[in-house]
Amino acid sequence: MFVSKDSYMFEMIRTELADAVGSEYVGTGDSDKFGHSIDYYWIPEMWHDRGMPTPKPDFVVHPGSAEEVAKVVKIANQYKIPVVTWGGGSGSQGGALPIAGGIILDTKRMNKILDIDEQSLTVTAETGIIARHLEWAVNKKGYSTMHLPASISCATIGGFLAHRGTGVLSTKWGKIEDMVMSLEVVTPTGEIIKTLPVPRHASGPDLTMMFLGSEGTLGVITKVTLKIHPKPAAREFRAYLFKDFHTAMSAGADLMRSRLEPCAVRLYDETETLTHVKKVFGIDIGSGAYLVFGFDGEKDIVELQMKHARKIMEEKYNGTDLGSKGGDLWWKNKYKFFYPGFMFHLPQAFGTLDTVADFAHIEKVYWAMKKAVNEKFPKARFIGHFSHWYQWGCMLYARFIFEGKDVPEDPRQAAALYNAVWDVAIREAIKNGGVINEHHGVGLKLGRYMKDLYANSFPILEGIKKTLDPNNIMNPGKMGL
Amino acid sequence: MNIDKFEEDIKKCRFCFMCRHLSAVGNVTFREADTPRIRSSMIWGVMLDKSKLSNADFIDTIYSCDMSAACRFHCVNHWDENGAVLAARRDIVEAGLAPKDVSKLSKKILSSPAAASVSGPSDIVYYADADTMALPGEMEAFDKIAKKSKIKYATATGGDCGKALKVMGYWQQAKERLGEFVDSLTAAKAKTVVVSSPYVYDALVNDTAEFGIKLSAKPMHVSEFILAQKLKFPRAAGEVYYLESDYLKNYNSNLKFPRQLLSRLKASSPAEFTTDILDEEIPYMFGTNNEESYTCGEGAVVFAQLRPQIVKKMAKYVEARVGNPKADVLITASPYTKIQLSKNTKVKVLTLTELAAGCL
Repeated sequence: MFVSKDSYMFEMIRTELADAVGSEYVGTGDSDKFGHSIDYYWIPEMWHDRGMPTPKPDFVVHPGSAEEVAKVVKIANQYKIPVVTWGGGSGSQGGALPIAGGIILDTKRMNKILDIDEQSLTVTAETGIIARHLEWAVNKKGYSTMHLPASISCATIGGFLAHRGTGVLSTKWGKIEDMVMSLEVVTPTGEIIKTLPVPRHASGPDLTMMFLGSEGTLGVITKVTLKIHPKPAAREFRAYLFKDFHTAMSAGADLMRSRLEPCAVRLYDETETLTHVKKVFGIDIGSGAYLVFGFDGEKDIVELQMKHARKIMEEKYNGTDLGSKGGDLWWKNKYKFFYPGFMFHLPQAFGTLDTVADFAHIEKVYWAMKKAVNEKFPKARFIGHFSHWYQWGCMLYARFIFEGKDVPEDPRQAAALYNAVWDVAIREAIKNGGVINEHHGVGLKLGRYMKDLYANSFPILEGIKKTLDPNNIMNPGKMGL
Repeated sequence: MNIDKFEEDIKKCRFCFMCRHLSAVGNVTFREADTPRIRSSMIWGVMLDKSKLSNADFIDTIYSCDMSAACRFHCVNHWDENGAVLAARRDIVEAGLAPKDVSKLSKKILSSPAAASVSGPSDIVYYADADTMALPGEMEAFDKIAKKSKIKYATATGGDCGKALKVMGYWQQAKERLGEFVDSLTAAKAKTVVVSSPYVYDALVNDTAEFGIKLSAKPMHVSEFILAQKLKFPRAAGEVYYLESDYLKNYNSNLKFPRQLLSRLKASSPAEFTTDILDEEIPYMFGTNNEESYTCGEGAVVFAQLRPQIVKKMAKYVEARVGNPKADVLITASPYTKIQLSKNTKVKVLTLTELAAGCL
């Protein structure tokens, strides 16, 4: 149902929502609606930049508990109104945009830390808490979630769960799905359920994993128990410069195959080493490919692991040692890349072609995407770095950038150009063994590729969606569902 | 328009989320609109379409900002969303669109004299603004410290440094009021003006420079003044938690005097933290970090009069972060903050001056 503000039904529904969450927590003002019409996705940003109207919600509700979420969802089912769950609004895929109007269910009022269990080393929190606030709170007791993404200051824990987020220490400490013990979820029909309390069991398929990454299409995650870890006694980094990207990739892959346990590994291709690394760190490290890695834990164990890693870098791959200072600079500036002035911004057109693959395919994916973008879009720059390394492969954080003068003035044409790059690059990635994507999620931006990616298994996802959400009210139009 | 001067800041802030966690108002209203990102985006909308300036909801949101400037202090490039909001308020006022409560309050302020009443000529003048006057203990504490230091001083009361008008968008009136206020201090032959309220300190340091007003006296926050006296404090302050002042930290490059005074008073703090931005140990810190503003709207000077319900929520937010409400003592450099916390919560709060006087 689309509700006109002039219709008495608008007031009828507003009254019901106010009864569910409190009048103070139902916004219908212009500022509230506008505030939920833009996330971090380039197309709505560009649309707004050009003064074009953006899709807006009819109601913005701030429930304070799972019970209130359930009430809102039941009202939405009654009137068949879309419900889009919104955390911090920092998503880059348009996943939380109210493209069909309806209700924005903003989770940030559900921001309580319920328990820090120092025996099991877990924290239980409501999912509307901003990740930085949760991290500060556990830091105060001497722990860390070890989930430290660039969006930590804006995104909610629920946002990370909803699109399977990753932090900079993912190589050792895992992605958010590796950190979860259990969830409380409000289903699309308004039941409040809990997944099993521990993540390792043999009691059938894992419901926790089914809800992770579902981007609000299968329900609203309202509580989570996460693992926490003692803050490490030592964390040391070291950086190397290699003659080219291939050598650096080989060195990084060897480091992972050695089964040493780096907490972070990051490799910048030659272009990004020359431009971005120099710009952010303020040092000229010369040409080549910059690789940085680190270890954390007890000091002597860190030192021993570093010794073995250095051997791989220096003796096997002849890397130029930039020392611990070269590595510390990366750690110290890890968020600086994302502040305005360092980050790309309008009128540039830019996108992150975040793709993950195993070591047998990752270089092929990189070269295939780079070739395709360079050939089809000669005015675009293609740069990349490789973050989030695992025992079997890593993520390509490829980016394309058009300078403002090369972006059409007409917003429709600009969007068309933008989408065309994605079509070319993503299909090339999938063809070469890549998976879209590692941590940004699917949302609106990549929904149209889900059938390509999942092939004949996509109907299973569609079936789950139909079973859980018979009225298709939960974030319709996202993830290709 | 005044917002045009902030075009680059607005462009930088409008889609940025890096300071979202420091939105003191957003953290209690949960509204996206109460964050620097969305305020900037809305101001950009006004730059594209001037008619949006008159949107009542936009105006209400712009006046719901607490002006802590925590975002600007945090930002690695210090993009000035705070300045853009101030410019938007100025545009609203200059277009005759000031909301009723703002207009009413400005008229009330303008109906009283700007010049302070000084008790007599003196090298040192202690200025007690309305917030300081509302805390008799603050003035008594200052007097005790001055007597112990064998310092003679004159007291200035009343008057108006123009800060409230400035943050509400009444630029010209603020400038004129500050000029008159400074003249009254100059007439008293003050060489040093000591103030308890950080917003007055900021007006005397930064607004005079911005408005081209010459202040011959040296402005000192009371914490700096007490430190300069080289007093001995026989009693240790004990365990305390310091609430940063918006004006002393975010508007004046993190002045060191309050922490130096706490150190002199042998204050202790059970936990010390580092933050991402300062990369140094922060003693006496309240809560979990020293980036969030816990001032209940000190930056907006008259926030408690314009948005009492938000201020109440901000005070409750602070209260919820007190580890042991029965024992913990919070210290503030700002009389305004003490007033709001005392009014809206049960937490124990002392000003720096009161703490220092208690250690004599």
